[in-house]
Amino acid sequence: MKLRILTALLSLSLLAGTAGAQAVIRIGAPLPMTGGLSPEGQRLKQGHDLWAETVNKAGGILVGRNRHKVEMVYADYQSNTPRAVQLADKLITQDKVDYIFSPFGSGATKAVSAVTEKNEVPNIAATASSVEVFNQGHKYIFGLFTPNDSLTEPLAELARARLPAGARVAVLARNDLFPSALAAELEKSARKRGFQLVYNEKYAIGAMDHSGTLVQVKAARPDWLVVTGYTNDVILVRKQMQDAGLSAALVTMVIGPSYREFTESIGALAEGVTSAVWWHPVARYTGQDVFGSTEKYVAAFRQKYGTDPDYANAVGSLAGSVLQAAIEKAGTTERKAVRDQLARMNLNTFFGPVAFDANGMVNSYVPPVFQIQGGRSVVVYPASIATGTLK
Amino acid sequence: MALAQVLLNGLLLGGIYACIGAGFSIVWGVVNIINILHGSFIVLGAYGAFFAHQHLGLHPFMAMLPLAGLGYLLGQGLQRHLIRHVMAAKVLVTLTLTFGLNLLLNNLMIYAFSADFRKVVLPNQEPLVLAGLTLPMDRLLSMLAAAGVVLATHLLVTRTMLGRSIVAVRMDPQAATLMGVDVDRTFAITFGLGTALAIVAGAILSPIFPISPTAADSYLGKAFIVCVLGGLGSLPGVLAGGIVLGLVESLGAFYLGPDHSLTLSFGLLLLFLLLRPQGLLGRKGFE
Repeated sequence: MKLRILTALLSLSLLAGTAGAQAVIRIGAPLPMTGGLSPEGQRLKQGHDLWAETVNKAGGILVGRNRHKVEMVYADYQSNTPRAVQLADKLITQDKVDYIFSPFGSGATKAVSAVTEKNEVPNIAATASSVEVFNQGHKYIFGLFTPNDSLTEPLAELARARLPAGARVAVLARNDLFPSALAAELEKSARKRGFQLVYNEKYAIGAMDHSGTLVQVKAARPDWLVVTGYTNDVILVRKQMQDAGLSAALVTMVIGPSYREFTESIGALAEGVTSAVWWHPVARYTGQDVFGSTEKYVAAFRQKYGTDPDYANAVGSLAGSVLQAAIEKAGTTERKAVRDQLARMNLNTFFGPVAFDANGMVNSYVPPVFQIQGGRSVVVYPASIATGTLK
Repeated sequence: MALAQVLLNGLLLGGIYACIGAGFSIVWGVVNIINILHGSFIVLGAYGAFFAHQHLGLHPFMAMLPLAGLGYLLGQGLQRHLIRHVMAAKVLVTLTLTFGLNLLLNNLMIYAFSADFRKVVLPNQEPLVLAGLTLPMDRLLSMLAAAGVVLATHLLVTRTMLGRSIVAVRMDPQAATLMGVDVDRTFAITFGLGTALAIVAGAILSPIFPISPTAADSYLGKAFIVCVLGGLGSLPGVLAGGIVLGLVESLGAFYLGPDHSLTLSFGLLLLFLLLRPQGLLGRKGFE
């Protein structure tokens, strides 16, 4: 008798257990939590976590008539791409996650997309902006960043409005995949508008000094100076520009200035620098997603983490919003159905409108151009979300 | 004119490089340890200066003195309690130990301070313009501070009893023991001194370079080149090595383009290792 009650209890609890497990949607995210890319990995994780927490607080994702809670399953690939591929495989086959959020950057995303494609798992790529990731004919990958030239075109357009015809342009780029790809796009955008390219060089990864370089740039007398690189690079270059007595009518730095460390680290020298980025917290979008609007998103982020979100945080949250919309529209968690809804998506979000082209790359929003004015970032382009004008 | 500016920049950069290399050189030259921790110690010093500036309003050059004391204690303790046990082993073992300790320290710093970049922002120091040459004040001050620190250490090593015992141990540990020098103690003091120098370098550099644990590797790389160029364990050599490296990088960036300045400095490193392994001012037999 005792035994029978025990068995009954046990099976009951097992049943409850499986019922509970069914109501959870598990999302695997291989992220660089340690190593060189760890700042980016942490940022994405903050974004994913905020979304998961917000959704769960609202009861979960609506699947048909039931609400399913969300569980994020992270794996640290130590900034080492081959390890990201192994971990994505492990997340899918052993941890049995339902969907994947991609690792950081185009290189690792491309590598992992082969694994998700093979297993037919929808893969939301938050931070891949190279077209090469998406033109392999894969059906299960969806990227949230517009291509690189979508950053350089608006910058060049603003420069044309501001500078005399045939203005002199100097480009100094970090010799690294994304920064030099940006520089190449920028060169095209500048030439297209009849600008004169008077300096175009790359500096080595890990360069600690730019003084010799900047003497040459100064001698080239640029009207528009463009520097590509990460936060530490552009901080150092901006500081050494002052040391060299170098200035230009328009100074553009991508991608560093979108992080608050840029203004915090160089103070008044940040003034007037323009930059472009996929998303900025001062943008004003309204959305049908769980966050509702850019302002509400920024407030929620600030409440949880105590700082303003940057584009990497925001795109991490957007990955969740987009997946959620696809599942709710499909009315099922079945992967193929969710994938089809992603391909058909047309959704307004706190990040901007999201729709994908035939390759699965987003093509529905214009990345904002912003300028540091009075120590704060002001969006100056596109006009629909601008909060000020170029100075 | 541009050339004069490039030479001037190279000199200033050289002083900064000398500062980066000093502690590394003395530890390698005397204790015979290739201290992989060196770059992380510099970053730690920079963080010390950053927080002293942010919370106490201390100028990095003021914060540098108490930080040096803390650095000395840290280095000496590390040598006494950990590194001493593998001193007798092959150089690869001590290398592996400091490599492991470096991973630990570096990740602890990422954990504690995050990998975000910070910088000590001093009140705006406009560069001085003299006869068409621009002279960045903060770099000039940092270079002078660096030269001062290196010279003070040089005096310590050449003019005091402690310094003499350091030199004696460097030349021949066994003979030094026989002459009554406490070799273990000298090793610990030297390692402490090397660590203090790294911490001071971090404080001096904090207004110039962005601070992040990820910067540690580039500091270590520069320290390595400076030592090979200047000669191990020789402090005037460190100054000479730093200045040569600074000049070569500046001239290289100017004439060959910025992508090649690193190529040039590593090429120089190879050349020295092949042709003059004792460095500019090092003595033969101690390379």
